[in-house]
Amino acid sequence: MKKFRLLVTVLLLLAVLLGACTTQEPAPAVEEPGAEEPAMEETKELFRVAVVMPSSINDLAFSQSMYDALLTIQSEMGGEEAMEIVYSDGMFVVDDAAAAIRDYASEGYNLVIAHGSQYGSSLQEIAPDFPETSFAWGTTVDTFGIDNIFAYEAASDQGGYVNGVLAASLSKTGILGVVGPIETGDAKLYVDGFVAGAKATDPTVQVNVNYIGSFSDVALAAEAANTHIAAGADVLTGTAQMVVGAIGVAEESGALWFGTQASQTELAPSIVVANQVYRWDVVLNEIMDLIGEGTFGGTSFVIDLANGGEVLEFNPDFDIPADVAALAEETIAEISGGAVALQAPKFEDVFQVAVVMPSSINDLAFSQSMYDALVSVQEWMGGEGAMEFVYSDGMFVVDDAAAAIRDYAAEGFDLVIAHGSQYGSSLQEIAPDFPETSFAWGTTVDTFGIGNIFAYEAASHEGGYVNGVIAASLSETGVLGVVGPIETGDAKLYVDGFVAGALATNPDIQVNVNYIGSFSDVALASEAASTHVAAGADGLTGTAQMVVGAIGVAEESGAMWFGTQASQSGLAPANVVANQVYHWDVVLKEVVQMIADGTYGGTSFVIDLANGGEVMDFNADYELPAEVKSLALDTIKGIVDGSITIVFGE
Amino acid sequence: MISDLLSMTVLVGILASGIRLATPYLYAAIGETFGQRSGVLNLGVDGQMLMGAFTAFYVAIKTGNLWLGILSAMVVGALMGLAMAFVTVNLHAEQGISGIGFYLFGLGLSDLLFQKLLGTVETVKGFPKIHIPFLSDIPVVGEIFFRQNVLVYIAFALVPVAWFILNKTTLGLKIRAVGENPEAADSLGVSVARIRYFTIILGGTLSGVAGASMSIALVNVFQQNMTSGLGFIAVALVYFGAWRPWGVLAGALLFSLVNSLQLWIQVLGIPIPSDIAVMMPYILTILVLVATVSRVRAPSALTKQFERGD
Repeated sequence: MKKFRLLVTVLLLLAVLLGACTTQEPAPAVEEPGAEEPAMEETKELFRVAVVMPSSINDLAFSQSMYDALLTIQSEMGGEEAMEIVYSDGMFVVDDAAAAIRDYASEGYNLVIAHGSQYGSSLQEIAPDFPETSFAWGTTVDTFGIDNIFAYEAASDQGGYVNGVLAASLSKTGILGVVGPIETGDAKLYVDGFVAGAKATDPTVQVNVNYIGSFSDVALAAEAANTHIAAGADVLTGTAQMVVGAIGVAEESGALWFGTQASQTELAPSIVVANQVYRWDVVLNEIMDLIGEGTFGGTSFVIDLANGGEVLEFNPDFDIPADVAALAEETIAEISGGAVALQAPKFEDVFQVAVVMPSSINDLAFSQSMYDALVSVQEWMGGEGAMEFVYSDGMFVVDDAAAAIRDYAAEGFDLVIAHGSQYGSSLQEIAPDFPETSFAWGTTVDTFGIGNIFAYEAASHEGGYVNGVIAASLSETGVLGVVGPIETGDAKLYVDGFVAGALATNPDIQVNVNYIGSFSDVALASEAASTHVAAGADGLTGTAQMVVGAIGVAEESGAMWFGTQASQSGLAPANVVANQVYHWDVVLKEVVQMIADGTYGGTSFVIDLANGGEVMDFNADYELPAEVKSLALDTIKGIVDGSITIVFGE
Repeated sequence: MISDLLSMTVLVGILASGIRLATPYLYAAIGETFGQRSGVLNLGVDGQMLMGAFTAFYVAIKTGNLWLGILSAMVVGALMGLAMAFVTVNLHAEQGISGIGFYLFGLGLSDLLFQKLLGTVETVKGFPKIHIPFLSDIPVVGEIFFRQNVLVYIAFALVPVAWFILNKTTLGLKIRAVGENPEAADSLGVSVARIRYFTIILGGTLSGVAGASMSIALVNVFQQNMTSGLGFIAVALVYFGAWRPWGVLAGALLFSLVNSLQLWIQVLGIPIPSDIAVMMPYILTILVLVATVSRVRAPSALTKQFERGD
């Protein structure tokens, strides 16, 4: 008995040992001389890809775009025998994702994709532990300088721009609604592009933007869409996986939808017009080629319209008018060809701007308009890390301003802005001493023929004309009053435009003009306004920082106020009807682009209603009768398309 | 169209406007008169006005109490006056230059405080117009003189008070003595330093009120450099007024009335180019000065330093 049991035990042990032996992986038969062998096209080695994503693979948005791309490549390569795909989706908890990424790397996957910008810091720790694994991370351009991380990003503002063009062309109410997740990354890019495209097509279109604060809250997205519809929007768009909630609402109310990241047509075929579809495979192909050559990272990629990584897909079941479709094609071509610069140029070092201004940055007028523009340009360029700006305000003494300008140039600022026509002669002396510095001067068109001076001006008569039209339409006494500073420059232009607009609307209207002789004397401006009111004016306007005195009088006497240079609605919400707001950032962006291209001056720019450098802003607190509002909008359109010519008379 | 100027509405408008415009000039110039009569030139008036304007505005906005605003403006003006007095009397600084220094200080500090504490231009509910019973109902005259805000009334009331103090009191006698001949005054036991401290601080206080009259009565807003050089004109008006309160009143009224006249000229479309119209008050002031220069005499010790034992 004992011997039998011993025999069985030994046999069992042998069986176990043999079994273990046979299930062992055979050792690699061929010894690879090293990972640098580029003879990969022939060997059909299985390429193994793992991807970690924050939401579901069928979210019709971010995660789906990556999953679809992987499937596309897999079928191009010949199916599952050529490429293995595994995924972990719904990884919105970063620690879970980090664990998954690490696991995949240690299981020997060739490429591990961390599809979510929130995974960055985890990846930064993990990647160096697995030098034989290639990692890809998006959406971002940052590879941390680690040589086995690829980065990929989407220039989502491009398709956003085209969507915006289409949306503005198709909207009947002139109100568009955007449902965004969080104001960051490719979401913000998309929204900004959409707004830009819409405004470029129709400066009067209203685009309401709502960032709901979440990538996944579908109910909140639906509510945001409801709010937009209630506000009058008949076209909606949005980005991130929560948009399915918004699309549902859009379908119910018959509003049109523009999608991004993936095709959302199947969700609401009757209202989806077009989608900007991400084709990550364009980037993945390049990455996989590089891996094949032995490069595991260190490069960043961008998908855009030009390289086909972003594709505008039109819903075949939606009838777009031919001219709108043609406009879309044209826009796509322009963007692909680089004619429309949506993104800020990138500089090696922080781009430094200094500005010298004659009055305070919060004068609600001239200087404030430039300060606000710089804040906006700083955001456009990417924040304080990309652009810094400093200012010297209150420089009404020209010699002080000249000293400041010279100092800034000597300190090596890239762009020095002399914001005041009185600084011209000083600038003429200073600029040639600093050929490596770019100077900008306004308001004027004169660059003195000096190669490093840009000039900028405002066609302020355009908004003046519109204000005059509205004022004359609303005035009951038939008398209007203008409080001007000194009869020169953009002040005179504005006043002349206002008078022209008023007379064109009502030839019998009386417009009294008073130049008080100062840009800053608030007390005198106040008296001038009182004088106008005593003479019967029920509508007042004026330009330059002293107008705050006049606005106070308007408020007291119940007269209407029309502003220019900046929005003055906040000062007298019950009296301010409309403002012509200067958007100098339109000019500044072009200047920055030219500096990036190596041109430091020699061109002059004008902001006007057509290029969006001047925007008519209607005070939301003032009840403007519908027919006057539409007259104003028609006037703006007429000036922009040239059918209205502004004639200055007596 | 020039005949339009003679219509009642317009004349009333010009005069009422002129009275209002004159108010800050009056406060500042009367205050400066005291200082200059005692021999001190203060060019920092504009800076004191700006600090007073900001302080009054800020206190009024935060507390809703206009009189507290005036009081704070007076305190701030007095403090700046105190500093100026120290610099002038004790440190014997060159008065013109130290004055400009205080002007720049007041200009910069008021703007800095405005940007940090308020940040954006806004309005305040300032002193309302007060209709003096009975008097405001007198046709024409009533409208011009008796429907202004309280600070306007006080400014005009200051003139006879200032005249009285300077000419009918011992204090006034001492002030004038110190301004004419400080050595003699000193030898008679008048403390030159104390008198000058008094007049300079008084001047600062009134400049503070001048600024407040702009920011919480006339214009009801504060803005960087809102005085726009008014303080310097006020100093000039002291010369214009021959260092006498009634003369200063005449100067302030003349300057302001011509200013309000040019406003109406432009509004009525009278074809005088706006540039010329705007120059009018200044040209007129210069002309009058030239005509009267031989007949007035500045206080002999004006801008001269005084040191005991010189």
